[in-house]
Amino acid sequence: MISTAISLLLVLIGLSIPVGAALGVLGLLLDSLYSMLPLSRAMGEMAWGTNNEFLLVAIPLFILLGEILLRAGFADRMYSAMSLWLSWLPGGLMHANIGASTLFSATSGSSVATAATVGTVALPQIKRYGYHEPLFLGSIAAGGTLGILIPPSINLVIYGVLTNTSVPKLYLAGIIPGLMMALLFMLTIIVICILKPSWGGKKIHANWVQRITCLADLLPPFGIFLLVVGSIYAGLATPTEAAALGVLGSLVLAAWTRKLSWRMIRDAIESSMKASAMIMLIVIGASFLNFVMSATGLTTVLTNSITGLGVSPMLMLFIIIVFYLILGCFMETLSMMITTIPIVAPIMIALGFDPVWLGIVIIILVEAALITPPVGLNLFVVQSLRKHGSMTAVINGALPFVLAMFVMLALLAWIPSLALWLPSVVE
Amino acid sequence: MSQAAPSSQFDRLTQAAAALSRGAVWVGGALTLASVFLICFDVIARKFFGYTVGGADELSSYAFAISTTWSLSFALMQRANVRVDVIYQYFSPRVAAFVDWIAIVALAVFIVMLTRYAFEVVNTSILQNSAANTPLATPLWIPQGLWFIGLCWMVVVLALMLLRASFALVKGDISTVHQLIGVRSSKEEAKEEAEAGERLIREERS
Repeated sequence: MISTAISLLLVLIGLSIPVGAALGVLGLLLDSLYSMLPLSRAMGEMAWGTNNEFLLVAIPLFILLGEILLRAGFADRMYSAMSLWLSWLPGGLMHANIGASTLFSATSGSSVATAATVGTVALPQIKRYGYHEPLFLGSIAAGGTLGILIPPSINLVIYGVLTNTSVPKLYLAGIIPGLMMALLFMLTIIVICILKPSWGGKKIHANWVQRITCLADLLPPFGIFLLVVGSIYAGLATPTEAAALGVLGSLVLAAWTRKLSWRMIRDAIESSMKASAMIMLIVIGASFLNFVMSATGLTTVLTNSITGLGVSPMLMLFIIIVFYLILGCFMETLSMMITTIPIVAPIMIALGFDPVWLGIVIIILVEAALITPPVGLNLFVVQSLRKHGSMTAVINGALPFVLAMFVMLALLAWIPSLALWLPSVVE
Repeated sequence: MSQAAPSSQFDRLTQAAAALSRGAVWVGGALTLASVFLICFDVIARKFFGYTVGGADELSSYAFAISTTWSLSFALMQRANVRVDVIYQYFSPRVAAFVDWIAIVALAVFIVMLTRYAFEVVNTSILQNSAANTPLATPLWIPQGLWFIGLCWMVVVLALMLLRASFALVKGDISTVHQLIGVRSSKEEAKEEAEAGERLIREERS
């Protein structure tokens, strides 16, 4: 039963059938193979129930928020503000790449868009200040991945829905690891540039007057972050309501920077509706498949056979990490999460891992997938921005940051309260 | 000439379908923006005036469901479907075209089944006169019906794409198949993201 299901899934996915349809069709096949009752009839109710879930309304709203903010026109000034504050460190503007990505992440739930925007602003500086190109490119690709760990994050909403975990708790849990990872990235750059001073580019000088005046440019994104995340913890709003407040805030901001226009709204709407419809198709397919799997007893069989192996929790964690790293080579990140979490999370939670903690660990693994070849979307984005040279430079440049992610994972495994402390304090 | 006529008619039909799908996305977007304003009004009224409008969550959930199905066909025509191209990238163009065709058939199977059972959801609501278990007591067939219409339109567009792709495949017109239903490779996608980023910054500086 398990082997049939897994082989069918591999064939469907391997034939590059759209992931949502592959999951749905697998559900239909398993139903006709193993079920006494016609489970497919529940498909309609299931789809309506999922599609009508208020928590999931946060998905289109967070995507829309990101799309509007991208178009609100403060990326450039934000980047120069970051460079004034951070470029005295060994590695210069590479720290601005990480800093700007971190701040961007705090307003957007997308990693790819973060890398594309910060990358466009940053790339011309490589020649100007003579940076070591691969490392600089790597810092942009890696910085971009922070988008899904630092709240608001669409991936965390999906994890929360799939595992019945509180999204506000997940958001709180993502803050410290997110900031720590940004620091680890910067530390990586500092260490490398101390070892190889020539990689760090020419010195950039800034004075305190410039630094203080540029702070105003950091206010708009920070304000949106406070509005969204703050309103959740002030008990003012649920995640979905916070997303709506964020969209309104971003519209006001765009109006203030005179970027608000019908064309801008239309573009933002088209891309966010398209993205959220595709995510929902996968979520609907997955929820139907999960229903069929648990109704036919497949989930129990699968979970029992894995827990029955008698593997220790730490070894299991190691296996899961390797599993995600391999899978990340083949699958796009959201579909990877939606497909695997319904199976992986119950197993890990049964072994005694905290669901909130696990969510953060899985997100970091997904981030690693974004910057490891062959299908690291952020690597491709950076490569397309640069339009010349070989992909190998970007891959090599991102490698030290992948190591930093592993350090973060090890820290999380060692000290789980890095993720769990903040949620427990707010309770 | 006998071959050109149906394909140009197909083109017109496809263009019309694309235009309608785009219109549907705008409706979905308008519903989403309306939800934003409604939810914000609700939150602000609750906080500062201590009174709840009520129903903002319910109505925006309906808006979400409707805007999802109404955006499906646009996403399909833009080839925005998430597909895994690990093996696909090694196929010859001819094999890839055939695989694309299988992929759209599979998608059609899933969507048609979904639409069929979605009809039962709407039908049951109509027959039993079901209303939401909320203060608004919304007659459920209204949001469910609109949600169902989006699925129906997706079925129509899928049928059109499938027909067109089948004809092209039979004629050996591989490039048309790819344009219609081919996988957008990760590289293509990344390139578009990068271009979008560059465009944004250019506009910002202008």
